[in-house]
Amino acid sequence: MAKYLGLDKLQTFAKIIKQNGGIKGSLYKLYRQDELKLGTLVGEDKYGNKYYENNMYFYGRNRWVEYADYYYLDYDGSQVPAEWFGWLHYKTDLPPHLDPSRPKYPWMADHTENLSGTAKQYVPYSTTRPKIEAWCPPKKK
Amino acid sequence: MAASELARKGPKLVKPILSIDHGEARRRVLNLYKTWYRQIPYIVLDFDIPKNIEQCRAKLREEFRKNAHVKDVRVIDMLVIKGQMELKETVHGWKTKGHVMTFFKDTQEPKPEGFLAKFISGTN
Amino acid sequence: MLRVPLSKALPNAVKAVCSPKRGSTTLAKAPEKIEVFIDDKSVMVEPGTTVLQAAAMVGVEIPRFCYHERLAVAGNCRMCLVEVEKSPKPVAACAMPVMKGWRIKTNSDMTKKAREGVMEFLLVNHPLDCPICDQGGECDLQDQSMAFGSDRSRFTDIQFSGKRAVEDKDVGPLIKTVMTRCIHCTRCIRFASEVAGIDDLGTTGRGSDMQIGTYVEKFFLSELSGNVIDLCPVGALTSKPYAFTARPWETRKTESVDVLDAVGSNIIVSTRTGEVMRILPRLNEEVNEEWLSDKARFSYDGLKRQRLITPMLKGPEGELLPVEWEDALSFASKAIRDAGSEIGVIAGGQADAEALIALKDLINKLGSELVCTERAFPDDGAGTDLRSSYLLNSKITGIEEADVVLLIGTNPRFEAPLVNSRIRKAWVHNELEVGLIGPCVNLTYSFDHLGEDPNVIEEVLSGKHPFAKKLLNAKKPLIILGSQQLERNDGVAILSKVQQMAKHLSSKIGSEWKVLNILQQVASQVAALDLGYKAGVESLKECPPKVLFLLGADECAITRDDLPQSTTVIYLGSHGDNGASMADIVLPAAAYTEKQATYVNTEGRAQQTLVAVTPPGMAREDWKIIRAISEVVGKKLPYDTLNEIRGRLEQVSPNLTRYGEAEEANFYDQAVELSKEACNKLDCEPLEVKYKDLEDYYMTDPISRASTTMAKCVQAVRKQKESKYYDSGTA
Repeated sequence: MAKYLGLDKLQTFAKIIKQNGGIKGSLYKLYRQDELKLGTLVGEDKYGNKYYENNMYFYGRNRWVEYADYYYLDYDGSQVPAEWFGWLHYKTDLPPHLDPSRPKYPWMADHTENLSGTAKQYVPYSTTRPKIEAWCPPKKK
Repeated sequence: MAASELARKGPKLVKPILSIDHGEARRRVLNLYKTWYRQIPYIVLDFDIPKNIEQCRAKLREEFRKNAHVKDVRVIDMLVIKGQMELKETVHGWKTKGHVMTFFKDTQEPKPEGFLAKFISGTN
Repeated sequence: MLRVPLSKALPNAVKAVCSPKRGSTTLAKAPEKIEVFIDDKSVMVEPGTTVLQAAAMVGVEIPRFCYHERLAVAGNCRMCLVEVEKSPKPVAACAMPVMKGWRIKTNSDMTKKAREGVMEFLLVNHPLDCPICDQGGECDLQDQSMAFGSDRSRFTDIQFSGKRAVEDKDVGPLIKTVMTRCIHCTRCIRFASEVAGIDDLGTTGRGSDMQIGTYVEKFFLSELSGNVIDLCPVGALTSKPYAFTARPWETRKTESVDVLDAVGSNIIVSTRTGEVMRILPRLNEEVNEEWLSDKARFSYDGLKRQRLITPMLKGPEGELLPVEWEDALSFASKAIRDAGSEIGVIAGGQADAEALIALKDLINKLGSELVCTERAFPDDGAGTDLRSSYLLNSKITGIEEADVVLLIGTNPRFEAPLVNSRIRKAWVHNELEVGLIGPCVNLTYSFDHLGEDPNVIEEVLSGKHPFAKKLLNAKKPLIILGSQQLERNDGVAILSKVQQMAKHLSSKIGSEWKVLNILQQVASQVAALDLGYKAGVESLKECPPKVLFLLGADECAITRDDLPQSTTVIYLGSHGDNGASMADIVLPAAAYTEKQATYVNTEGRAQQTLVAVTPPGMAREDWKIIRAISEVVGKKLPYDTLNEIRGRLEQVSPNLTRYGEAEEANFYDQAVELSKEACNKLDCEPLEVKYKDLEDYYMTDPISRASTTMAKCVQAVRKQKESKYYDSGTA
């Protein structure tokens, strides 16, 4: 009946507001990530990004990430580490922290986000010797 | 003999390109101008160029004024044909944004004049 | 040494080849010409002419490997075999003098078969490594095997014995040897012993065991060693710095002039991708023939190191910081404006005439006359007013005709290697007698050492010295005075004495023959003196200007200590060297391969360099920098283009734009008269020369000092000295 009247939508809305930390929290989240969703927390990676799932949403929108708070508005897709990437993109349904066969070696590098556009970005440089070597003025003692 | 006579009459006997007389040529020029004028809003929109309609119209006027000194009907006709070709290429989207922007050669630096300017730029 | 056997063994060949000009002396009893037929074409030749030369007269070129116009005939490669009618065997054209009525067939079946056979024998033991050989593309063997060789090989190595292989020799940092490629033409040996005067190379073994080498482990070090690379018809001797860097067909060749010494050797600058790949000699009979000294040939890597590529200004902490041209020009012109007429110039050894005239015009416009060259010249007497007192008046070719040469205070071997090779040529072929006053150095030929004391000059002049008799009896005597002696305190006295001696001798001969010769050491000096520069920096030391321009002056004629703190030093040049280190403002200019510029050699011959590569970075042509400064200062010089500035050069000194011609000098007598009034007292300090040893020769100017190849040469000479085979008498 409630469904028929559309009251369940209001219910869901209330749940969403609640899950996202009340009205103030919801407004903040809406400001930060442009949407409010309801879902179960599947896991959290070592960088503090939280991964949610809610199969009520259509396939393709039922898994999402909420980036850690310290990124504020400065988040992007490359901040998702490789192991969670697979889960987010349906390569696997087993979240990495529940996957026992996932290889772990001491030599494996930490995930790095895409640094293009920042001071730490990679800039290609020439390794050939210059055709003309300039004179360096002698340093004054 | 006939050839030299022909040569003497030459200027009067040239084969017209499009227009018979100056009046017709003028009509063609105005026609081209108006067509361009009407197309400009669409060009600005389609090519997303960083110029507004007023600026484009000023440029259009400038381009036509550039040839204001031309009096020869055949030359005028030729210029009209070229202008039509430009228009067609623009309107059909055979040109890209960069081609359209070359009408405003703002990125082209003028060649340095005078010894000192040439010296500093290293071109001489 | 080589002298007697060569001239006796090959009297005809040598004369015919090496002294076309000296034919005039024997004209009185000119022998009757004989007629021979080359491919049925009749040609009249002098008796003693070889078949090969006779063929060359009618434009038939006979293939050859061992024969070379400027070397003695060896006749060992057999490539020049031609058929002579009625002769049972083919004859070697390079060594066989023609007989009357000979009918020579250079294209008959027999000739072709002979060539094919020779070529086959040569290729039996020649490696097939043309694709990795540096000679590829300019290899005589490659070309001639295409033209005259067989079209197929009979070489089937059924025993798998392989081709002959010879161990490579280490002959120094300049020449790379791949001795397996050697075809034993012995050109290098003949060059070393005849032209370079160093009997280091020779053969050992016979037949297929024959090897070219130095007998013992030893470097082939000579100031002319690079020429064996050009002489080698195959890739056995190639250039070490050039190894694997470029192919001859992909380089662009620019005809230019060398400026590292005062000879002005003609060169070809090979460039590729905006880089100088190598420097080769260009034929000029009047200057360098087809030889080139090692410094000119190999110091091109100095053009790529230690370069000034941006203008620099002295920063707050006394360090030179790179700036833009605008800043450099405004700072320089502010300094110049503040200085007013207290401004001076020192022109270095490689300044071109265009820069010299532009700078002189600018300084004169500012109201100063302090334009000096680095190298001094006595100011008393005629000074530099008369060209005859600072030129090599008899020209370099004149040396070949001379019969007695007196060298005073000079070591031509290292000051001007190609002048020395001319003296040696005359010594070998023309029975030249040489006397030397100055340090006893090795000149590669024998000479009478008259002493080091300048008073010997006086003795020779007065006729007391035994050598004076030889000079007086000579038909064509020459006196070559090193310009370095003119920098001495008694320079004017030495010049005066030498001028008197020359006058005395020439009045005795009474012909047009010019006796007096000054051998300059740097390329810019003659042009600078022609343009009215003051020689020497004494006047600058006396009253130091507020702004001092150094036009490529790196010899430390004036050091920072000679100048007050307030003096602004502006350095204009191509290389960071002594001059740039002491400068407040550095303006980067073009090196000699990067500009079209005029240089005058020690003979007074104006020659021009052409642009082979563009100046690096922000460097500009020298005269343009000066022209730009003049505009910013507000004393605009009236020339904008090269033609205009050359018009100005012509106004001042018309000989500077008559390219290729050596302008004669005159007024010898007047110079003597004027110099008589000057101080005539000789010091007793012995004469000294700057470059005594091969070690001193390599690094003498900013370019060669920046060159790593030249540094390696110096090291090689030092290493050689430690060798147990080193003999100071012959090196």
